[in-house]
Amino acid sequence: MAKYRIDVATERCSGCLRCELGCSDAHTKVFNPSAARIQVTMTGSDCQVRFTEDCIACGICADQCFYGALSKTKQEEDDQ
Amino acid sequence: MTGRGFAGTILRVDLTGREITREPLDRVMAERYIGGLGLCIKLCHDAMKPGCDALSPENPIVLGAGPFVGTNLPSTSRVYSVSKLPSSGAIGWCGAGGFTFGAMLKNAGFDHIIIEGRSERPVYLRIFDDQVELVDAAHLWGRSVEETCAGVWDTYGFPTGVLCIGQAGENQVPFSMAFIDRISTLGRGGFGAVMGSKNLKAVVVKGSGGVGVADRKRYKLIGQRFLERIRAWPHLQEAQEAGMTQAFPFVPREEYSRLKKRRAACVSCPIGCKDIVEIPDGPFRGLIKCTSSVINLYTPVLYGFKDYRESIKLMATIDGFGLDMFEFFGIMALAGKLADRGIIPGAVADPEIRLDSLDSMEAWARKISLREGLGDVLAGGFQGIIEEYGDSAKELAPALVKGMHPYAGPGSAFAWDRFGTMELGQVLDPRGPHVGSGGSPTYFALRPLDIFPKHLERMGVPRDAIDRIMGAGYEPEHKDDLKVGALLRYSHAWFVILGSMGICARGQINRFYNAETCAQLYEAVTGIPTDLPALRERVDRVWALYRMANIREGLVPQKDEVAPEQWFGKGGFKVYLTGEPLERSDTERMIKDYYNEWGWDPETGVPPRHELARLGLIGPEFREL
Repeated sequence: MAKYRIDVATERCSGCLRCELGCSDAHTKVFNPSAARIQVTMTGSDCQVRFTEDCIACGICADQCFYGALSKTKQEEDDQ
Repeated sequence: MTGRGFAGTILRVDLTGREITREPLDRVMAERYIGGLGLCIKLCHDAMKPGCDALSPENPIVLGAGPFVGTNLPSTSRVYSVSKLPSSGAIGWCGAGGFTFGAMLKNAGFDHIIIEGRSERPVYLRIFDDQVELVDAAHLWGRSVEETCAGVWDTYGFPTGVLCIGQAGENQVPFSMAFIDRISTLGRGGFGAVMGSKNLKAVVVKGSGGVGVADRKRYKLIGQRFLERIRAWPHLQEAQEAGMTQAFPFVPREEYSRLKKRRAACVSCPIGCKDIVEIPDGPFRGLIKCTSSVINLYTPVLYGFKDYRESIKLMATIDGFGLDMFEFFGIMALAGKLADRGIIPGAVADPEIRLDSLDSMEAWARKISLREGLGDVLAGGFQGIIEEYGDSAKELAPALVKGMHPYAGPGSAFAWDRFGTMELGQVLDPRGPHVGSGGSPTYFALRPLDIFPKHLERMGVPRDAIDRIMGAGYEPEHKDDLKVGALLRYSHAWFVILGSMGICARGQINRFYNAETCAQLYEAVTGIPTDLPALRERVDRVWALYRMANIREGLVPQKDEVAPEQWFGKGGFKVYLTGEPLERSDTERMIKDYYNEWGWDPETGVPPRHELARLGLIGPEFREL
């Protein structure tokens, strides 16, 4: 069940992968970018961000972001 | 050791026999040398055939990433290489922001790679988890750093880590470097040439195994405090926006804001000091350049370029070939003087050597990297030029330390004149001049003395040593007593802690770490019992072995660790605190202080036998020391 709405501002993404590290640690108990439910890709000098089907919008990725590329908003009960 | 910071495996690659083997990382050795930088030094010492030439198959390349790399501790992506370097002939460390390379190496299951021998033809090493192969690199050979990275990412996608060389490394130019993920530089002193001598174009790595920690509860407790402190730092946004331009304010803010396309960060870094810029207008409009720092792109301006857009264009060319910019400009300045005096004939110096001209400098970067015409002589570095043109070249050459051009000081790129640890360190690190402070507070000139003790405590300097460094209680009337040599000893020690664990040494981030916390984190990540005294002993062991391995290879401290004459007198360095002209007796005292503070012989700079015994550096595996 989703808890947060995650907003993405890719132009602010630095490619630090802190979101992937935090996500994988929370859900797999190890730091493993490939197992994260958020995936950051760099093409040329641009970043792209996508969420896998397993994402439960727990908001941990946004907690790890220091650049304002990810932000979370708590969802109301009837929005869930 | 898997699941405890360390991946637990060392990869050994014999390029000559095309053999790939795996060895378990010995826990006791990991503890004794910490990891990362420290273990690279130990593994290189063990793998190297004593007395080998830097560009021979017997010179190993040891790559490594410390136990914190791959975790989400702030700014823990550092990658180190250790091998003999051709410019100085020293066993030298090279370090870089690992971008994704370090984290991918750990996720692939390896802490270190030892690369030995020489491939018959160009290859790259591809590591995809347990699938490790030497792959034909004919299609990449002759291509620039940028093109090589693009080629790898086109084939394998992001976040594949790429460590590669450009054409200068391929042609074994002794001032060529390797690059990580096209952004971070690895290897003043000629690490690029070492890779080139092995016909090794690149190391490409991607992993999916994960990096675990031993004590998750403790790790999270300490880690969370860190993140909260960084978030609360009032200058966080400013640091993220200004990057390294805060430390080097010669990049005009207005130009920078027009150029900046995006800030880039190494894996796990909350500050993000790497730059991606785009030239906004003019003939090179749209050129995008990724760089370790935008200040590097302004280096040609320091040598006379008037147009910052041309400066960026030139740096794109220099970086593409994989040349060391400091050495390149030093050599071109010398070549220009020789040409002006007719020592290099005009017909040979074609095009005209002009340090303020894009066309000229791009042409010479190419000639050097491809060893064309006079470029082949210049590609020999200062030593090659002096051999070719004799005493005239020697007289006109700039200050040289271990055969290399210091990046700071009279006649160098950064002409600041206060003599702190980074400046003295150019003489006292066996590898020779390099940019790096280890976090010493003298990194910035003229910082108020009263902030020093706080920083020194953070760096793990014992109380009695702080008193020695600060002189007679750091009262204003004694402010000329700052002992730069003693301070450098602890700056190097702090650097060993950071580098061995995998933490970035740049000031913006290392200010949040302290040695005591590093020891606690090391214990939480690796499960290896560690307190500050134990950590200090391991640091002493790493740096003593680094020194002894270099003495084995011919370093004579009394001869080689001497400040160049150009640093003194008119236009020379100034004493850090007083601004008085620096004298040779000052540097001699600093060097003695440095040796003494390490517990080495203050006259010879050699660790005495009882110190080596304390550190366990006497025995069969150290028989040649």
